[in-house]
Amino acid sequence: MYYKFSGFTQKLAGAWASEAYSPQGLRPVVSTEAPPIIFATPTKLTSTVTAYDYAGKNKVPELQKFFQKADGVPIHLKRGLPDQMLYRTTMALTIGGTIYCLIALYMASQPKNK
Amino acid sequence: MTHQTHAFHMVNPSPWPLTGAFSALLLTSGLVMWFHYNSATLLSLGLLANTLTMYQWWRDVIREGTYQGHHTPIVQKGLRYGMILFIVSEVFFFAGFFWAFYHSSLVPTHDLGGCWPPTGITPLNPLEVPLLNTSVLLASGVSITWAHHSLMEGKRNNMNQALLITILLGVYFTILQASEYFETSFSISDGIYGSTFFMATGFHGLHVIIGSTFLIICLLRQLNFHFTSKHHFGFEAAAWYWHFVDVVWLFLYVSIYWWGS
Repeated sequence: MYYKFSGFTQKLAGAWASEAYSPQGLRPVVSTEAPPIIFATPTKLTSTVTAYDYAGKNKVPELQKFFQKADGVPIHLKRGLPDQMLYRTTMALTIGGTIYCLIALYMASQPKNK
Repeated sequence: MTHQTHAFHMVNPSPWPLTGAFSALLLTSGLVMWFHYNSATLLSLGLLANTLTMYQWWRDVIREGTYQGHHTPIVQKGLRYGMILFIVSEVFFFAGFFWAFYHSSLVPTHDLGGCWPPTGITPLNPLEVPLLNTSVLLASGVSITWAHHSLMEGKRNNMNQALLITILLGVYFTILQASEYFETSFSISDGIYGSTFFMATGFHGLHVIIGSTFLIICLLRQLNFHFTSKHHFGFEAAAWYWHFVDVVWLFLYVSIYWWGS
C-alpha cells in the first residue's frame, strides 16, 4: 500500500505507486494572488483593436478619492451645491405636492351642491 | 476615527425613501384627479417627484458602490437576492394578467359568441410583426450575453458594441409594437379581448422601456469605466431584467398572439 498526504483531510490517504514519480513536496505552489483585474484600457495590441481614440479618460480613481473624503457629509449631498439644489427641489415638490393632494382630496370628498 | 469591524454596509441617512413614498401618493391621487376631475397637475408633480427620487437614489447607490467601495461580496450577495426577489414579484404581477386572459379565453361567454377570438374581433396575424418582435427580443438576448462575456474578458470595444446593439434592438421592439398598436382594428374598450390584450401587452411594453432605460444607464456607466471584469453587478441586474422581459414576451406571443388568434 502506498500513501499520499491529503491536504483536504490533513491525513494520510491511499495512493497508487505512480504517485512516487511526482512527489507532493516538489509540486509547484499554486499562486494565491488574485488575478489582475482588467479595468480600463485593453492591453491588446493594434491588430485586433480598431483605431479607437478613448475620448474620455478614466475618472473613477479621482472620483473615488473625492467621495471618500472624511467630511461627515451624507452621500446624497457629498458633491456640494448641485446636490443641495436637487435635494431642495425634490423636497419642495414632494411637500408642496402633498399639501396640494390633501387639499384636492378634501375638496373631492365634499358632496356636490345640488 | 472609528472603523466598522464587519463587511456590511451601514448607509447614510437618506431622504429618498420619504420622497419616494410621497411621490407614490401624488401619483395615485394624481391618477384619480386626472380620471375623474380632468386635472393633470397632481399627476405631473408626482411623476416629476418620482423621477427625481429614482435618479438621486440610484445615483447614490453608484456613489456608495463604485466610488466608496461599500459593495463588498456580502453586500453584493444581498443586492443579488434583492434583484431576484423583485423580478419574482414582477413575475407574479404578470401572472395576474395571464390568469385574466386564460380565464376569459378558455371558457368564452355566450355574449362573445362562445368562441375565442370573440365574434367581431380580427386579431393581428401572429406571423407578421409579432413574429418579427419575437426575433428582435431573442436576438437582443444573444447580444446581451455577448456583452457580458466581453465584459468578463476585458474586451471593451466588443462590450460597448454588444450593449449598444442590445439597446437598439430594444428600441426597435418598442417602435414596432407602437406601430402595431396603431394597426389594430380593436381598442382596449372592445370587450374582454381588448382589455386582456392591451393590459398584458401594454404592461410588457412598459417593462421593455424600463429595461432599455436600465441598459442605457449601464452603457453610460461602462463608458465611464465603472465596471470591472470581476465586479459589474449593475450590468448583471440589467441583464437578468432584460431576460425576464424577453421570457414574458415569449409567453405573451404564444398565449395571446398565437393560441389566442
